[in-house]
Amino acid sequence: MSLILEAVGSMAEDQMHLADINLTFEKGAFYVVLGATLAGKTSLLRLLSGLDQPTSGAITMDGRNIVEVPVWKRRVSMVYQQFINYPHLDVRANIAFPLQRAGLPGDEIDARINEVTALLGIGELLRRRPGELSGGQQQRVALARSLVKNADLLLLDEPLVNLDYKLREQLRPEFRSLFGNNTSAIIVYSTTEPLEALMLGGRIIILDEGRVLQTGDVHEAFHNPACETVARVFNDPPMNMISADVAGERIILGDGLVLPRSGHLAGLPPGPCRIGIRANDLNLEQSAADDMELAAEVQLSEVNGSETYIHIHHNEVSWVVREDGVHSYALGSGIRIRFNPGRLFAFSSADGRLLAAPDNLVSGSAVMEG
Amino acid sequence: MFVLYRSLKYFVLLVWSAFVALPFLWALTTSFKTANGVVSGATYIPWLQYEPSLEGWKVLFRGEGKGIDIITPYLNSLTVTLSASFISLLLGTLAAYGLSRFSWRAGPIRNADITFFFISQRIMPPIVLSIPFFLMLRMLGLLDSRAGLVLVYIALLMPIVVWVMVDFFNNIPRELDETAMLDGCGPLETFWRVILPNCKPGLVVAGLFCIVFGWNDFFFAFILTFTETQLLPVAIVSLNSSVTPWWSLSASSLIAVVPLVILAFVIEKYLSSGNLAGAIK
Amino acid sequence: MLNLRHKYVFLLPGLLVLLAIILFPLLFTIRVSFSSWDVVMPGLDWFGGRNYTRMWADGRFWEAMQRLVMVAVSSVALQYVLGFSLALLVWRNIRMKRFFRVLFLVPMMTTPVIMTVIWRTIFHESLGPLNNFIEMLGLPAVPWLSTASTAVISLVIVEVWQWTPFMFLLLLAGLLSLPREPFQAAAIDGAGPVRTFFNVTMPLMAPISIGALIIRLIEASKIMETVYVLTAGGPGTATETASYYIYIRGLREFQIGYAAALSVTYLVLMIIALTIIAKILARIMILKD
Repeated sequence: MSLILEAVGSMAEDQMHLADINLTFEKGAFYVVLGATLAGKTSLLRLLSGLDQPTSGAITMDGRNIVEVPVWKRRVSMVYQQFINYPHLDVRANIAFPLQRAGLPGDEIDARINEVTALLGIGELLRRRPGELSGGQQQRVALARSLVKNADLLLLDEPLVNLDYKLREQLRPEFRSLFGNNTSAIIVYSTTEPLEALMLGGRIIILDEGRVLQTGDVHEAFHNPACETVARVFNDPPMNMISADVAGERIILGDGLVLPRSGHLAGLPPGPCRIGIRANDLNLEQSAADDMELAAEVQLSEVNGSETYIHIHHNEVSWVVREDGVHSYALGSGIRIRFNPGRLFAFSSADGRLLAAPDNLVSGSAVMEG
Repeated sequence: MFVLYRSLKYFVLLVWSAFVALPFLWALTTSFKTANGVVSGATYIPWLQYEPSLEGWKVLFRGEGKGIDIITPYLNSLTVTLSASFISLLLGTLAAYGLSRFSWRAGPIRNADITFFFISQRIMPPIVLSIPFFLMLRMLGLLDSRAGLVLVYIALLMPIVVWVMVDFFNNIPRELDETAMLDGCGPLETFWRVILPNCKPGLVVAGLFCIVFGWNDFFFAFILTFTETQLLPVAIVSLNSSVTPWWSLSASSLIAVVPLVILAFVIEKYLSSGNLAGAIK
Repeated sequence: MLNLRHKYVFLLPGLLVLLAIILFPLLFTIRVSFSSWDVVMPGLDWFGGRNYTRMWADGRFWEAMQRLVMVAVSSVALQYVLGFSLALLVWRNIRMKRFFRVLFLVPMMTTPVIMTVIWRTIFHESLGPLNNFIEMLGLPAVPWLSTASTAVISLVIVEVWQWTPFMFLLLLAGLLSLPREPFQAAAIDGAGPVRTFFNVTMPLMAPISIGALIIRLIEASKIMETVYVLTAGGPGTATETASYYIYIRGLREFQIGYAAALSVTYLVLMIIALTIIAKILARIMILKD
């Protein structure tokens, strides 16, 4: 079973939501749609579900055009970012609803409900109404309702975004195990968070302004972002960028910092380019002898969970450093930043294309830290 | 200063309460009077100021021919009001859902214009419609019939339903409809199984308004019926001639008016729970 | 918004029924207004605009229009002031809150014509309680329904009694839906009740006030039943409203053609007047602050 989008475009009220989308979804695979707010993630999921029709292009399932097939005759499930359940039914009736509509016998319905509620840990809530549940519980019920159907296509539109931080942390690994042994369905999961995409794994579709920028394996895309925009979208905080000039055996950063043109950067063509480095590849302590060093000024330091983001400034440099633990830095104070030149990315300054990425072998830890 | 303000507040509330209650109390005491009790001038307290009698009430229940028949008009009013309210609620709710959920375009006409067309029917003075209604019902052979009145009341009540329900539906997330469809319900099934059970407060409010406005209409019942189908207000107003005994007039008025007074309790309940606020904008 | 073929099932039944019930009568009335249809010669002939020229010179109609405007505007204004005051009094917690709220809603639930029948006995010059009360205070009895000016006042009293509750209902529902934050902010700024009312409550209530006033003006522009029962337009023609006068011409004297011309004019004038009033109200209430 494969779902194919060919040259699909979507417009509403003279506004372009999606343009020239070509994608193939295979049965048994897990897809993460990553993009900023308004990048077109919801539009894409609504097209896949059949709730919206494309204004151009074709959507086919195993070669058959399915644009005209009404939603209620498809085998699709969707979990929204708002917690959508039937308010007038209790949890059990909510989960039973799609099965009853499909005309399943009573004992089969019971069996499936028991299975899915045990899986999601909501067996105790069966007699409650959605209005009496917490946000996390409501979303579990919505998830149970979409899982219980065994649909061909399961769509999850930022399902964790409206939950608090702790619940998100708790649900993410659950999702990974829930979807890990899927063999029968196409699962599409949209998110704005790079970390979430990395933790869930699978294949990635990176959207920006209604266009697909990159597809492929999540980790592969993380290590080799196709272009500067992907590097920005796929890092939180976005990848730090600076203009640079390649001349002879040297790379001169806009800041005046000079690097040797060696290692993975040896192949850069002469002339201007863009250099990028992840926030967590910037360190405050020296970790290796060949680290580059940069003196800058603290513009702002903010604590985010168990991490501190330090915004630094020096000439053309306007970067963010991510540091573990909670620290505080005085505004305007001087700070020394070190980084390993082996961790630099290079992009074309003409079209943003990736020119060089760090060697993957040494970056195993970067994946987990995101 | 504060004490003064508070006493003033309760004074105003009590004065207005007295004003509101005045016609009811007056009708109540009058209903127990006899001719002697009435013609001797305004009196209020039974036994002390006049000799009470149950004549005014008894005459209403003597059955056809012997007294004032209030039962038949009562049943007529009940049938017509409930049928018209039910049909208006059905058609109006469906239409409101259609206007809330789907996009409509016909030339320059959009959803908002159709909604406005429905609601704007309330501006139509009954007198403007009365003559054509009269001729239309005569053509259909529905003059002086309950069916004819139901037809007319639908036009009166449906705009109220659309007014209340469009706003109510707009506050139910579309994702709920979509989820139902994804779960295998067609549009009609979605409406019936998922949306309708979740808009009970709106239906109650709209239904209440229908019943109040239907039950209380006088004019159309007055001009479109004669002898066969008399509705309650018409029956009571026809008692209002100079020779009418005030006691039975008062008694029948109270009987006609009291059932709807109970609805005030229901409306107040919805008011407290905040369900009305959304409907009225 | 979804676009399904099934959508017609929802809208069309209601829309078609309403169009059938309303549109035919409306078009028919317009056509009849150009005929001389009356009790002697019923039927649709072509009478040109003569009904309209007759109307132009019909002083009684224009007086009835003026009276309607006067009665409608004064009774709705009173209903608004009283309804808003009462809503403010029972808005926050007070003793017997529910009792007052329910009681204040009661009149709008009652049948106007039936209550007017009762009001007629209350206004009765020699046997009614109102004059009885006035005489107890040592004042001369008022001929409530038999002089022109007092008959109009009686009409306004009945309208205010009947429909202040509706205003009260809309405004109280509005008050109850207001957000709390602006009031807390005003309290922190040390604003007294009067300043809070004019700077916070009124602006927030402007949209609901406009809606309530328009709804009541629309309903008040149809005043007729109360007139019919309370005074039958009298004394003389002193309490005739537009609707009531059209009723006399059309359904008492069966001058159907002429009554249709009056109806069309009345409807058009009402729509124009209400549109202008709605615009003015919106401007006053929203630009005031």
